[in-house]
Amino acid sequence: MSAAPPDNDVVWARGIVKSHYGTPALRGISIGVRDGEVLAVTGPRGSGKSTLLGCLSAQLAVDEGEVWFNSSPVHTLGRAGRERLRRDRFGFVGSEPHLVPELTARENVALPLLLAGAGNKAAYTAADEWLERLDVGDVARQRPDRLVQGQCQRIAVARALAPLPPVVFADDPTAPLHREAAEQVLRILTSAARSHQLTLVLATHDPELVRFADRAVALVDGRLTAPAAPVPRGTPAQGTPGASAVTATRR
Amino acid sequence: MFYLRLARGYRVPDLGRWLLTALAAAVVAAFLLRSLGRAMSDPLGGTDAVARLLWCLPPLAAVAWFAAVAARSVPARRPERIAGLTAAGAGSRRIRSLIAGEVALACTLGSVVTLLLFLVLRNDIAGPSLAPDLGMGVPLPAAAPVTLLALVPLTAGIAAACAVPANETLPGGRTRSRTGFGALRIALPIGLVVVGAALELIALRPGAAVDGRPIHLPAGLGSTSTDALGAWAASALGLALLTGPLLAWTGRLLAVGRPTPLRLLAGRGLTAQARRLGPPLAVLTLVVAMVLTTIRYWIGTPDSADALPAIEACLVLGCAAAAVVSRLAEVRIDRRDVTEALLRLGASPRLLFGAVALRTLAVGTTLLVTGGATAALAAAGLR
Repeated sequence: MSAAPPDNDVVWARGIVKSHYGTPALRGISIGVRDGEVLAVTGPRGSGKSTLLGCLSAQLAVDEGEVWFNSSPVHTLGRAGRERLRRDRFGFVGSEPHLVPELTARENVALPLLLAGAGNKAAYTAADEWLERLDVGDVARQRPDRLVQGQCQRIAVARALAPLPPVVFADDPTAPLHREAAEQVLRILTSAARSHQLTLVLATHDPELVRFADRAVALVDGRLTAPAAPVPRGTPAQGTPGASAVTATRR
Repeated sequence: MFYLRLARGYRVPDLGRWLLTALAAAVVAAFLLRSLGRAMSDPLGGTDAVARLLWCLPPLAAVAWFAAVAARSVPARRPERIAGLTAAGAGSRRIRSLIAGEVALACTLGSVVTLLLFLVLRNDIAGPSLAPDLGMGVPLPAAAPVTLLALVPLTAGIAAACAVPANETLPGGRTRSRTGFGALRIALPIGLVVVGAALELIALRPGAAVDGRPIHLPAGLGSTSTDALGAWAASALGLALLTGPLLAWTGRLLAVGRPTPLRLLAGRGLTAQARRLGPPLAVLTLVVAMVLTTIRYWIGTPDSADALPAIEACLVLGCAAAAVVSRLAEVRIDRRDVTEALLRLGASPRLLFGAVALRTLAVGTTLLVTGGATAALAAAGLR
């Protein structure tokens, strides 16, 4: 096992192993995320990016190994502790927006702040500001079912950034977006991270988007292959696996 | 065979639903065969025979209602089954007929068990007290029980098939259901309630002329005037239709002002689900109100209680309650994504549980108001 990590690692993991119902997803990964950096985790579908982000962001409990955040252990925390950590310290953007459908855009963005105990006024002011910054200020009072996927994803990004958490995890946040919108959202995400000194862990299957990151690691079959260097791969498959399987069988 | 193979994949809720459908169908079949037996024992029964047959309609409707609501929840509860059947080449029509066939099979099984029991009891096993109900000593025309018993699976199956929207039989075809209520959907029930209540008050005013042709109510409930009954029916229908919009308004009220996350999630959630929760809850409230009114009347009037209406009430109540449970399960599964997203944001399970509790409390209060009004109007009409 390696020695203690450098002091400036905000999140670090050592030898984490995680499997889903017997299928190994992570096979012993050690990784450190430095304070204030934008780290890209690349790899094809099924390489374990989402699982790694899930373990680092205290959503999934690891089977083996250790996860630390700011010199305190995450792997020993119970459910309530992980919940508190997620609420107070981490932001998360998934590959789908997963907005609460009955809340308006600004309520969705203000929700994490309200959950953390912020006042109503402060929460909604921050929500409006972030929606404006992400170019969705004009739909702040609309519900997600009236909006297109791209707008919903921007709202999801605003929701993750509004509480200004020390670490933001983005799991393929550009999956539902077309190229132009994807670039814009990533630019906003990375520039917000840099200007507010947030740490951003960005998982992406698109090797081209690595240029937004300060550093990149590549995952293949649950193992880190080439730390600190992006691995150029062929054109990755488009669309979600479930949807493609279904459309292939539908006539 | 296909249904048996599907049944092998049943989990406890599916099995429970299937058995409940079969049981309810068996009871309805018993009512139908009893009316047949009575008609055979007393061929000149006249209007009594028709009335007995008509009294089989509420339980039949209850079974069909439960079958429809349960079938409506299949695309949400078993998306993998829909995806698998689509992958196997089944189209929208075939999937609907499969869902309907499952229900019809359960109903057929229940009916056949009752028919066998009926035939066994007819074979001089039952005592003289049951003889007129079974039509003992009269030859049984084969077509009659078959026709009557085909009615149960047919009604329930058609109700189930019609309840599943065609676009939901495609994988990923589940769309977010609409949440609002149109102006007509709000104005019509309010109009019905106001007009119905006003007419009932007029019909029951102290100086009102006595109705020359009173309606004799079944289940030992005495008699009432046509005007009062019609007025009560209108207001009850209005209150039932108003339940959905009322739930939506209750949700808005919960989230009014500057809501805390608890009130925000509870209120907005209720408003969003009012359209789906409204109908089954309205039916349950209506049934409970009617049953409670009847029980109250029975307690106040000696020798009026009867076993058969009580069984019928239990069946209708059970079906209405099961429909509510089925719809709740459907809503819960539909919201799994949202719940997961909220948990990922760091919302505590306690907060989510609190939101559900608050929502339940608000729904209960609303239903108490509509159900109480229905029951009060019914009780007034019974005097």
